[in-house]
Amino acid sequence: MTETTRILTVDDSPSMRALLNHALTSQGFDVSQAEDGIAALDWLALNEVDVVITDINMPRLDGFGLIERLREGSRHRDRPILVLTTESSEEKKARAREAGATGWIVKPFDPQKLVAAVRRVSH
Amino acid sequence: MFERPILPSAARPVDRITVMQGQALVSSEPHVEFTTVLGSCVALCLFDPEAHVGGMNHFLLAEPPPGMPVTAVDEHYGTYLMELLVNQMLGKGARKIRLKAHLYGGANVNRNMMKIGSANAEFARGFLQREGIDLLRSDLGGTAARRVDFRPASGQVRCRMVEDRLAPPVQPIARPALATGDVELF
Repeated sequence: MTETTRILTVDDSPSMRALLNHALTSQGFDVSQAEDGIAALDWLALNEVDVVITDINMPRLDGFGLIERLREGSRHRDRPILVLTTESSEEKKARAREAGATGWIVKPFDPQKLVAAVRRVSH
Repeated sequence: MFERPILPSAARPVDRITVMQGQALVSSEPHVEFTTVLGSCVALCLFDPEAHVGGMNHFLLAEPPPGMPVTAVDEHYGTYLMELLVNQMLGKGARKIRLKAHLYGGANVNRNMMKIGSANAEFARGFLQREGIDLLRSDLGGTAARRVDFRPASGQVRCRMVEDRLAPPVQPIARPALATGDVELF
């Protein structure tokens, strides 16, 4: 039996969350959404997920902070975390990598490439 | 403050910076003025009245990806251009909750073309609504080109109709090659 891959998307932009939701649910993924790093931590405290896709620039707790917090504990140490961002600087990419991100995707995302990346890291 | 027109001034000269199609520029410098000429394109001006930071983009929605109806527009690229402006504003100390918006442009300059001006305007309005950003003023649609001058530090703005030849009609284009959603797994 194949289980549905559960994804949490973390982005402060409702427009971007809607685009992500459409791109992923249309490919059969089970998608939940959080509006920033704090909301993501709250959601993850009560729910299970297979892949996290997070923006960087967000209020309260940004993407770097979210990745660091998730990697601190054992529960999410090996959880695939993809960063999806408008940032193009090598310095920020390196920072995400050091924090423990699994991959880096530059917006505007190509739905097919995004889905391929999710499938690759979730298996 | 955001709705005051720009008045002539004998004070020190203004640094006038043209915002080109596909660009998003942000500044908190009092002597900077962003300027752009719009036909079918739309310019979003954002201003944070507390941080005294403002920004302008100039966008034309890209054509839809292969396989999508030709009447559709590429919202991924449009959303990206909007987010680029918002993120630059946040990087200069603005808060999203305080942002005030103006929208200009979106004329259907060439009546034989698809109504790309209307599509751009509708997308921009929808984006602001979804993001919860206050739209204070808009001058959208019609068939005439517009010139917009915007002082980002004060939020002052001026929009005038200009001759269409200053803003030649443009067709939607494919996404820039750099904006292809590249994926790098670590």
